Amino acid sequence: MASAYNPIYTDVPEKDVFALHFLQTLSNLRTQNSFSSPDNKTSDRVKKIKKAAYVSMARAAGGTNRLWSRSLLHQAAKRNNKNVRFLRRKRRVTWLMRRRSNRGDPIEDVAAERLRNLVPGGGGMETSKLMEETAHYIKCLSMQVKVMQCLVDGLSPK
Amino acid sequence: MDVNEKEEFSGEKRNTGYDSADNHPSDWRISGSNPVSTPFGSYSTENLITASCSPSQMMDSFGQTLWYDPTNVQAVGYGGFSGGHPSSSSSSCLRGNMDRSLEMGWSMPNLLPPKGNGLFLPNASSFLPPSMAQFPADSGFIERAARFSLFSDMVNHPLGNPESVGLFLQGQCPSSEVNVGVATTAVRDPNVRSSELVSKPNVSEDTQSSGQKGGETSSKDSKKRKRNRQNSEADQSHKTEEEAENNGDKKGSDEQSPNSPGNKTNSGKQQGKQTSDPKDGYIHVRARRGQATNSHSLAERVRREKISERMKFLQDLVPGCNKVTGKAVMLDEIINYVQSLQRQVEFLSMKLATVNPQMDFNLESLLAKDVRELQLRGGSSSATPFPQNMPMVYPPLPHGFMQQTLSSIGRNITSPLSPMNGGYKRQETNGWEGDLQNVIHINYGAGDVPSDPEAAATATASLPSSNMKVEP
Repeated sequence: MASAYNPIYTDVPEKDVFALHFLQTLSNLRTQNSFSSPDNKTSDRVKKIKKAAYVSMARAAGGTNRLWSRSLLHQAAKRNNKNVRFLRRKRRVTWLMRRRSNRGDPIEDVAAERLRNLVPGGGGMETSKLMEETAHYIKCLSMQVKVMQCLVDGLSPK
Repeated sequence: MDVNEKEEFSGEKRNTGYDSADNHPSDWRISGSNPVSTPFGSYSTENLITASCSPSQMMDSFGQTLWYDPTNVQAVGYGGFSGGHPSSSSSSCLRGNMDRSLEMGWSMPNLLPPKGNGLFLPNASSFLPPSMAQFPADSGFIERAARFSLFSDMVNHPLGNPESVGLFLQGQCPSSEVNVGVATTAVRDPNVRSSELVSKPNVSEDTQSSGQKGGETSSKDSKKRKRNRQNSEADQSHKTEEEAENNGDKKGSDEQSPNSPGNKTNSGKQQGKQTSDPKDGYIHVRARRGQATNSHSLAERVRREKISERMKFLQDLVPGCNKVTGKAVMLDEIINYVQSLQRQVEFLSMKLATVNPQMDFNLESLLAKDVRELQLRGGSSSATPFPQNMPMVYPPLPHGFMQQTLSSIGRNITSPLSPMNGGYKRQETNGWEGDLQNVIHINYGAGDVPSDPEAAATATASLPSSNMKVEP
């Protein structure tokens, strides 16, 4: 894709940024008591790691500059702190949804709905914006997957 | 530019009835003959056009682009103005269209040869009456002008006397190949939904006046006409112009076939967006059927274009989507890809959890190993600055490297966040572990630092630079 020509801005930081964030998050996890205790269930740990992965990815990808990352961080913060920010977004969502309902190609709407469920923060976006976010999200996801793969390979016993 | 044009056109469109037409009868005339006739080139078309129609500047843009912005067209509601001027000026009853076409026509003379704008307004001929003096005494031109003047009247009184018009047309354009035939047919059609005067820009004019300004219908017709014009250019057969219009036949039945082969149906412009390519004589018409005056449909169209553009972008991103065509399938593919990526993340996190049950991620060793791994992979898969970073950050002992990195991270994180310094505790990097933990606490949601996301964002931004700055 001609990123130079493409007006859609979907630049993604390099792998090391993602790696750094992920490792930082994991280290933070490590410091949590519940994590280090051996009697911790694997599923919980898995969930925590997964969440850490997503959060770190959201941070690495641009923090609150992208809609999906912002929504991700918002979800994470909500779960942790009950500190809900971005209340503004809720109002916008309803307005946008009203707009969206008026127009629509049935074919693309169905798929767009599915996409909205997948991409975090997609509920309040128009279809065109949704696709931009999806593109960026895909790029970041693939980067995160690579980082995690490296980590797993590095940690797995030789 | 598009916006401006739209406004202008919409303004024109709003003119009740055909006020605009009345106001700019010259437009009609002017557009009629212009592009093809050489004399036009000599005319001070610019003056005429600007004087007569405001949208002249728009026309220029049109002339340049040849791509009719659907929004503009819609706004104008020039449905009727199909004026197919395939090559000649066709003045549609729709005044607004005329204006536009006129402008196009005028700008066209200069541009037509190279670009062959479809919408060339052969309407130039219609300009004649008011600006007669300015035009060289071209008999054909004068005839056309006269004809158009008649039609301009028709604008207000829809085809009261088809026969007369037909006769008029016939008499006017002996040279026009098809004009006569077409004109008569057109005239004979009482239903003309949109009065379109099609005049061949070249020499013969094909004027068709159909109903005057049926905005919606004309738009439909215009669409068809445009196609027809295009075809007419190609095959020079006309006559079905009417049918095309009336039947909404999109195939180029060449209503305006009269247009000289080389001319494109610029009149399409009024109808909708038309771009005529002189070379192949095809005008890309944006389907505006039945949507001429609906601003919603215009916006819808713009939206669709945006979506399709982004779909193309996504297509490049998702592997294996090049062969797939169609929005639905593509979207399904994208959804599958996103789902697979998410599943991969989950799977890898599971693996991580099992590989390192104690979760004792030793940052030092981890980073060292990871850096190596990433370097290896980075070199193979994507060209990232990581390899460049490696020499810089890796050469020293891992511990030292960690220390430096962490300290630099800590420093960089705090420094850009000047407004948020209050939220951060500047901690010297005496022990990298402490610093790291502090940083991580701040970054990770577990902390209560309110400026978390911003900090993270800025930290992210500064991180790469910090990495680069680390020196062995």
